[in-house]
Amino acid sequence: MTATASATDSARARATDAPSRVRPNEILRIVRLHTVNPAIFFGVPWMILGGAWAVTMIIALIIQGAAGPLDQAETGFEYSWAVLSPQWYLIVVGVQAVSYTFPFALGFGATRRDYWLGTGLMFAIVSVLNAAAIATLLLIERATNGWGIGAGMFDALWYVGADWATAFYSTFALQLLVLFIGAGITTVFMRWRMKGMMTVLFGGVALILAIIAVLTFTEAWEALGAWLASIGVVGVFTLVLAKALLWAVAGLLVIRRATPR
Amino acid sequence: MTTTVVRARGLTKRYGSFTAIDGIDLSLEEGRIYGLLGRNGAGKTTVMQLLTGQIFANGGELEVFGRQPAEHADVLRRMCFIAEAQRYPEDFTPAHVFRAAPWFFEHWDAEFAERLIADFRLPVKRRIKKLSRGQLSAVGVIVGLASRAPLTFFDEPYLGLDAVARHIFYDRLLEDYAAHPRTVVLSTHLIDEVANLLEHVILIDQGRILLDRDAEEVRGSATTVAGARAAVEQFVAGRPVIGREGIGGLASVTVDGRLDHDERVRAAELGLELAPVSLQQLIVHLTGAELAESTEKEVAA
Repeated sequence: MTATASATDSARARATDAPSRVRPNEILRIVRLHTVNPAIFFGVPWMILGGAWAVTMIIALIIQGAAGPLDQAETGFEYSWAVLSPQWYLIVVGVQAVSYTFPFALGFGATRRDYWLGTGLMFAIVSVLNAAAIATLLLIERATNGWGIGAGMFDALWYVGADWATAFYSTFALQLLVLFIGAGITTVFMRWRMKGMMTVLFGGVALILAIIAVLTFTEAWEALGAWLASIGVVGVFTLVLAKALLWAVAGLLVIRRATPR
Repeated sequence: MTTTVVRARGLTKRYGSFTAIDGIDLSLEEGRIYGLLGRNGAGKTTVMQLLTGQIFANGGELEVFGRQPAEHADVLRRMCFIAEAQRYPEDFTPAHVFRAAPWFFEHWDAEFAERLIADFRLPVKRRIKKLSRGQLSAVGVIVGLASRAPLTFFDEPYLGLDAVARHIFYDRLLEDYAAHPRTVVLSTHLIDEVANLLEHVILIDQGRILLDRDAEEVRGSATTVAGARAAVEQFVAGRPVIGREGIGGLASVTVDGRLDHDERVRAAELGLELAPVSLQQLIVHLTGAELAESTEKEVAA
């Protein structure tokens, strides 16, 4: 038994020793590592969303109980940010993925590259699942006329009037961006510590201020607004998706030399 | 036939102006148990982080299984290093750790891990954050043992472990090492506890290697000579003295190097007592007396 075991071991060793840039198993095991404790990526965000949903329902019931005009309330719900409530937590998920899970994966013998690719794949899977769920809940909310009591949680902000595909695409892009910002910032910390993170944060603020200044001095705000309106919701979220991919690539470059504490 | 698994030359690691590892040369052979000994802050963890590619050297050469370790999957998959201050994913329990382990360690023995969990009475459903220091050490010890990685690092495995648990670790390591030979590196400042386990001793202090020798050789390499002060001084004259103590007319002096038969006879004629020096005593002599105090305190705690 030992002989066959060592024979397969050496065969496996030879197989993996072969130079290959793609190691699907090494990347997939990082995805599995992220799902060992599903509370991190799924449990807490959906508890937050569920909590926000419950609060929305209670508000709707209070309005109904006070016999307020429901059609106006429905318009009011369109300004609710409840649907975005889990996004803030996903920043935390992105931060924790690098600050806790990355040192752990290194201790278990993963490479930084495989860790980042696996984590990125996990982010994509989570974003797809959450986006599909939220887009579907949006349709259910519409079909049940606001969960039967005229409450509106998902039919808000840019989701108003959006079809399933648009809702899915926009949510996917936003989740991906939020996760990669959290993880990306933390890779900077892992590589250059506080100095690096402060440089990036202040650099980011300076960049935003510079853009605002340029837009203000050239009086281009209206033109920007018109352009954003012309590309529509899908166009705007394509920009968001591009930004997410930019963070993903930058994160890969940074994490290659990052060191856990 | 022995194979060298780790080869380092002039390895240097600096943090700003502080030199943590100061140009060390090191080689580790396959199938031995190494003790990486030294005081707190001597650079033990830094060495292990360098060897496992967790941090990057500022200078020198390093080969582990024939290659640079960092970012080389085929090198990293043959190593296991659970740091003493290891970070675990948020809200992880030991059960989560052991479920993920077989995906990373191809030789993982789940049955062995189960047995160790029972031996150490580790509460596997408790969150890692809530574990005591000893239970946390047990997690690292179980991963290190059950992973059967060809190059396994134990970083301060005795930290917080009670006497029974220390004994279990000692027994299980020797048992499993006999059945599945591999290279083990054990870092600790609790030297007496591990002294009998070690086959080779590497003593590190302030980022430099003070001693890199076979453990058997080290054990017999120094002798304490005790007796009347004048006789002791006469006997040790001209020998390398590494420690000196005395009360009144009595003296006890530790000298480096073995004593041959004639010298032992002469000592007996002078009415001197000769005592072998334990690994811990020798290391205290080499790195300063404070180590003894800190070690005793930790064992007592």
